[in-house]
Amino acid sequence: MQRKKNYYTTITRRLIITFFLLSVVPIIGFAWIMKDTVEETNIIKLKELATSTIEHREEVISRFLHEKINLLSMLTNLYSPEYFATPANVERLFFAMNPTGNIVDLQVIDASGRQQAYVGPYRSMIEGKMYQDALWFKETLLSGVHISDVFAGYRNTPHFVVAVTDPLKTYVLRATINSSIFNSLLHSAQLGPSGDAFIINHSGEFQTPSLQNATELSDIEKRMISFKRDSESIVTDTDVYVTRSIDEGKWLLVLKARFSDSLDYYLQIRNRILVIVIVISVLSMAAATYTSTSLTRKLEQSDREYASINQQIVQVEKMATVGRLAAGIAHEINNPLQMITSLAGWTKELLPDENPETVKHLSEYEETITKIQYHVKRAATVTHRLLGFSRKMSAEKEQVDINNLLNETISFLSNEAQNNNITIKQNMDSELPRTMTDGPQLQQVFFNILNNSIDAIGQDGAIVITSRLDASNIYIEMVDNGPGFSPEAMKKVFDPFFTTKEPGKGTGLGMSICYDIMQKLGGSIDIRNGQQRGAIVTLTVPVVSSSTASIS
Amino acid sequence: MNFTVLIVDDEQDFREITGKHLARQGIECLTAESGTEALKILQGKHAIDVVLLDIKMPGMDGIECLKKIKEQHPLIEVIMLTGHASVDSGIQGMKLGAFDYLMKPIEIGPLAEKLADAYQKRKAHKDKIEMAMVKQNMNRPF
Repeated sequence: MQRKKNYYTTITRRLIITFFLLSVVPIIGFAWIMKDTVEETNIIKLKELATSTIEHREEVISRFLHEKINLLSMLTNLYSPEYFATPANVERLFFAMNPTGNIVDLQVIDASGRQQAYVGPYRSMIEGKMYQDALWFKETLLSGVHISDVFAGYRNTPHFVVAVTDPLKTYVLRATINSSIFNSLLHSAQLGPSGDAFIINHSGEFQTPSLQNATELSDIEKRMISFKRDSESIVTDTDVYVTRSIDEGKWLLVLKARFSDSLDYYLQIRNRILVIVIVISVLSMAAATYTSTSLTRKLEQSDREYASINQQIVQVEKMATVGRLAAGIAHEINNPLQMITSLAGWTKELLPDENPETVKHLSEYEETITKIQYHVKRAATVTHRLLGFSRKMSAEKEQVDINNLLNETISFLSNEAQNNNITIKQNMDSELPRTMTDGPQLQQVFFNILNNSIDAIGQDGAIVITSRLDASNIYIEMVDNGPGFSPEAMKKVFDPFFTTKEPGKGTGLGMSICYDIMQKLGGSIDIRNGQQRGAIVTLTVPVVSSSTASIS
Repeated sequence: MNFTVLIVDDEQDFREITGKHLARQGIECLTAESGTEALKILQGKHAIDVVLLDIKMPGMDGIECLKKIKEQHPLIEVIMLTGHASVDSGIQGMKLGAFDYLMKPIEIGPLAEKLADAYQKRKAHKDKIEMAMVKQNMNRPF
């Protein structure tokens, strides 16, 4: 029983899991793809935004630098070297070109590296300084133009230097430019609160302060950001980087944007998807549970029906086999029985002719013959009952009052019941109609069942007999308060030769004959145990009116 | 009561004992071991009143034999006797005009009674016919 229960629980569980997975897996897969798509879209959009921003900034910064270089170059072209040798001239130029204050100072150095003129706030510090060994000075003389890295220098503010030389390379014109102008340009390029924009040189040093107050590049950034990969966008797990080289590859403008800053929209969609997935999962779970449970219940029910039908079929087959077997052997047994009884009868017939004087045991012989005949009769009863057929088996149907039949049967057994202190209560429906059936056979069924009940109770008990009617059947219920059937006995109760009685007391044919008769009469017999104890036998007899019977 | 019975059974012991036993009760007995032999005897000069006929026999079985007997001698009563408890053959036998249907084993007493019953029927029938014949004879103009 427990095993069966476990079996159905397993089926239910498997069905639930299968149904649930079948409905939820595609949804989760779809949601996953949606999530990835949204995420990718976010990255692509961010990359596009970063690219367009950096392009614009790079252009502005480059233009700014070119402007300064062009300005200085133009001055060297406009004026003669002698003009720059005069500090007053340089001062005039400085004021003329620096209305915004971007240029911190302006310096003129001759080809030998000696300072010729200086206009700016740090005159005292630089006075008389020699530059012939400075790298930037040499580079300027060599390539005509120099832009330095950003440094604090004497001035202790970040700045950088733009230097040009005249075509004849007789002097160098050098302007120091406040690099904070870049800071404001980069500030407006910031994408999101965690975004960053800065300029680095070849050694990876910050040329402008990081907007996130970083002092140097992180290890990952150092590895990924390179001048060679200029213009590429680099995507990490958390950020997207875009870079552009400025000033012919001297500096690298880096724009960093964090995905999470632009996630708001994405998160909203993701949450919506999550909610949908959860709702669908819950609904699927409920549907799967409901479907599986009801399916299993139906399966269990049909299994039970099948088992009971199967049992019936087995029973019918068994009866048929026994019937065939019995019919086959009956002749073989009945013929010798006939011979025994005939020979015994003949001997009995002749015995009185003997002289009692000469036959010593005459009375013994007579007695023995009588016993032989008695036992042949007993054997014949068994073979006849085994076949279940007396001459009445031609099933002559007549109008039968079932209540009367019951009363009559009870009267046969009332003595035995009284002797064993067993009360038989009757609870008959007085409105029962008469029905066309075989009375004597039905009576045999009643008799067998009641007889078994009395035997089962033994001493002191009660049998309740109820008859009732529904639309097309009469039900006769016989309930006793005996020990009931053991599960083993319940299985075999209709088997021929199965008996729980002492050897010699029962043939084991009674209930199997009852079964056979009820089948033949178009009714049924059902046996079960009472809730507390005892057995309940329910007989069903179809109500057939005489008119229907004659038509059929 | 004096009448003649033909016992038809393939078992010799049965024929012998039953024959002797019935004879002792004043019933004259003839025996046949098969249907064919029984029909032959019936054709002969012996007047048979009742046939005790076993159903299950080798060769011609009881039912077939019964059919022939009833065809040829409709007035002879037949009692079917069998150890084979087939309802169908019993019913068939009754439909074919057997007087009754008996199950083996049967003691001599009830058997003799049944045979006597059959003879009574046969006799009543015979008397009726004889009476009719007498009446017919009486009506005949001299």
